[in-house]
Amino acid sequence: MTAEIRAEMVAQVHSVFVEAGAAVTAGDTVILLESMKMEIPVIVEIDGVVLEISVVPGDVVYEGDLLVTLASS
Amino acid sequence: MGDAPQIDPRSPRVRLMAFFDPGTFETITPEDDRGVLVGMGRVDGTPVVAFATDPTVQGGAMGRDGCRAIVAAYDRAFADSCPVVGIWHSGGARLREGVASLDGVGRVFAAMTRISGKVPQISIVLGPAAGGAAYGPALTDIVILGPEGRIFVTGPEVIRSVTGEQVDMLRLGGPDPHGRRSGVVHVVAESDTEAFAEGRRLAHLLGRQGSLDLDAVVDTDLGSLLPESSKRAYDVHPLVDGFLDEGTAIELHPKWAPNIVTVLGRLGGRTVGVVANNPLRLGGCLDATSAEKASRFVRMCDAFAVPLVVLVDVPGYLPGVGQEWDGVVRRGAKLLHAFAECVVPRVTVVTRKAYGGAFVAMNSASLGATRVFAWPGAEVAVMGSVAAVRVLHRRRLAEASDEEARAQLELELAAEHEVISGGIARAVEMGVVDEVVSPNRTRSRAAQVLLDTPGVRGAHGNIPL
Repeated sequence: MTAEIRAEMVAQVHSVFVEAGAAVTAGDTVILLESMKMEIPVIVEIDGVVLEISVVPGDVVYEGDLLVTLASS
Repeated sequence: MGDAPQIDPRSPRVRLMAFFDPGTFETITPEDDRGVLVGMGRVDGTPVVAFATDPTVQGGAMGRDGCRAIVAAYDRAFADSCPVVGIWHSGGARLREGVASLDGVGRVFAAMTRISGKVPQISIVLGPAAGGAAYGPALTDIVILGPEGRIFVTGPEVIRSVTGEQVDMLRLGGPDPHGRRSGVVHVVAESDTEAFAEGRRLAHLLGRQGSLDLDAVVDTDLGSLLPESSKRAYDVHPLVDGFLDEGTAIELHPKWAPNIVTVLGRLGGRTVGVVANNPLRLGGCLDATSAEKASRFVRMCDAFAVPLVVLVDVPGYLPGVGQEWDGVVRRGAKLLHAFAECVVPRVTVVTRKAYGGAFVAMNSASLGATRVFAWPGAEVAVMGSVAAVRVLHRRRLAEASDEEARAQLELELAAEHEVISGGIARAVEMGVVDEVVSPNRTRSRAAQVLLDTPGVRGAHGNIPL
């Protein structure tokens, strides 16, 4: 099953910590967003493998924009 | 029925016996075909009234006599001043009884509203709760949903025939939509057993609040639960759990409006409510939904004499067209109203920052906080200092030769601004912060304030805002 992680709010992508193919476990930080003068980690809620990263650092994302697609393990 | 022993696990007797302490359940109404059974019993020794609808009779539909039984349960809970718990599994009003059943359901709603804010009302929804059976739980203080619980006004059949939309009961009114989207459900349980256990914990927290024992409040270094960088967002749950007595926290609405956290638990053995911004979600901003969630929680605590502790780390209101059109002004006003009218002891702790209107809304001194603490290094301001100098020194910054020079100038002006505006010391001088408190003294200082402040309760109901 695939799971999508989407942006909760307008933000700028500060850093991306994983690549496609990487294994992640629930609680891992995959992306750091910057918004409201704060660095907000994007944390995965399930164990799985990263299928696709849809953003690069510097991108501006809006609420609902796709950030990461995961395959749950 | 007949010769067969009654062992249907959905029967009201079985469910009520599972809910109460063993051997304490007694019926108040007769066990017949009215579709509702009412009884009394104990929850960890505390008296509680409870009723259960009977899904083995007409799908648990509510008729006139069944509704009268529920009203009798409410009258009894009011007379005995104890919590009332409803176990719901019902298709709504009995079609066969026509308007008489509608009248009965309406009388249940009226009884729930009359008693609202006077005794705690908890609903445990274990099966479908449709139409009138949806609004019953919705009028109560706390709704717990079991894995098979489905709450909706109109079912999939009606939706399909009227609009053609295809949807099943799970997607329409199951744990996911009500736990995350609608805010109808406060607690989602993984099993019926867990639903009963959570209902018991909540009935005990609200029904027997205990008294605060200062000696039992051990200080820990809550500051170690914050990240090193003041810009970094973090999950506030460990801080809330660390503030409360170990293992006592029970979160309401954990997945709905997660940028604010509302938790019941105990401090020094006494029930308290905690409201906390969660920087991990939406940066901890207040928005329309989180303001509404918090205001209902604050009013519930106020009505039941539960003191409040408000942990503040808020960058402001979430900006955006969506928010304005969603009524952030109207719904945000509820939080101002809730805190301003609140009469229970209420302590605010600013852990990192409190900016602008959100600072006011989070139980500020101006809204009547009993006491406002700030941790050393916390910032209380109209806005962050960089944002402030961008407004105050717009022209000077525009005249900077290049981006690098502008950034440098911004930092210098921001540092200057912090000196002039005075930081937390100035906030103390102004009286908007009462006291700078070390993180490792916060539990005992907050407990002392709650202990020293007379316990009163708000004279109002708990409208499901």
